[in-house]
Amino acid sequence: MKKYYKIAGLTVEMDSFGKTAEQAEAYAAPPQDETDIVISSDWQAMKEKAPHLSDEDCQYLASGGSFYLQLINFDGFLIHSSAVVMDGKAYLFTAPCGTGKSTHTSLWLKEFGDRAFILNDDKPALRLTDGRFLVYGTPWSGKTAQNVNTCAPLGGVCLLNRGEKNEIRRISGTKAVFGILSQTVRPKNKEYMEKLLSLLGKLMDDVPIWELYCNMEPEAARVSYNAMSQAVK
Amino acid sequence: MKLKSGFILKEMAGECIVVSVDAALDLNGVITLNETAKTIWSCLEKGAEREELIKELLSEYEVDGTEASRAVDAFVSKLKELDFLE
Repeated sequence: MKKYYKIAGLTVEMDSFGKTAEQAEAYAAPPQDETDIVISSDWQAMKEKAPHLSDEDCQYLASGGSFYLQLINFDGFLIHSSAVVMDGKAYLFTAPCGTGKSTHTSLWLKEFGDRAFILNDDKPALRLTDGRFLVYGTPWSGKTAQNVNTCAPLGGVCLLNRGEKNEIRRISGTKAVFGILSQTVRPKNKEYMEKLLSLLGKLMDDVPIWELYCNMEPEAARVSYNAMSQAVK
Repeated sequence: MKLKSGFILKEMAGECIVVSVDAALDLNGVITLNETAKTIWSCLEKGAEREELIKELLSEYEVDGTEASRAVDAFVSKLKELDFLE
């Protein structure tokens, strides 16, 4: 059945089931006359590509893919990251799967308690709104159901690496570009790609980009928070 | 000589980068270009012959003919190797 949602400030129409429908429940909205994004209900194509996945997982991946692809029409995109909000600012930790993004942001929760929460544990949506980047929770948050239907201004993006000690530094240029481009979905459509690159260019001009080497001690959270929060404009 | 379509050149974070949206090329990475490479690339987007590229470098940079032709040949052979030219 078609239902309506408000996701990342946009009216979304979607026909879903299972995990997608459950996680989208927190984003449910009354029926709208005008929709921004209509999510294709065709998950069978995903099933053909990945027959080992369950129907539910295929629908989850396909609906998320459809949403994030169309998001570019509204100055938005995703960064594959765990987004933690602290004192009203969103901090994104990005890395390839299995590096420890969620592990690191969970350290923030342990260390800072109620001051921090996970906005989206895997695929936060970013939108350029009135000249600044806002980060949104969405129903698509990876393996975990950690997402909240709210938004916060972006405070920084951090490329996360495992390390013996906890060290963080600002990065720019090639390193920042490579790091962020490798953790977003790259559209195979020239017009969309041009838009995405313009948005990412602005992101790198406006928002501090960091590189963190960290272990799993609570100190890791303090090191990243102290540096990143001080640089927020 | 002309570059295949499906490339996007963009200035970002002070770097000049190239990405591809051509699925057939299977280029998931990002290429960064230095100043001379960017000049040659821009000419090849429209299409240009070796002599024109060398002339362009001579007018844009303080290089002599030998250096310019060496730079053009090296970059063009790299592009051929990557199968970026039509």
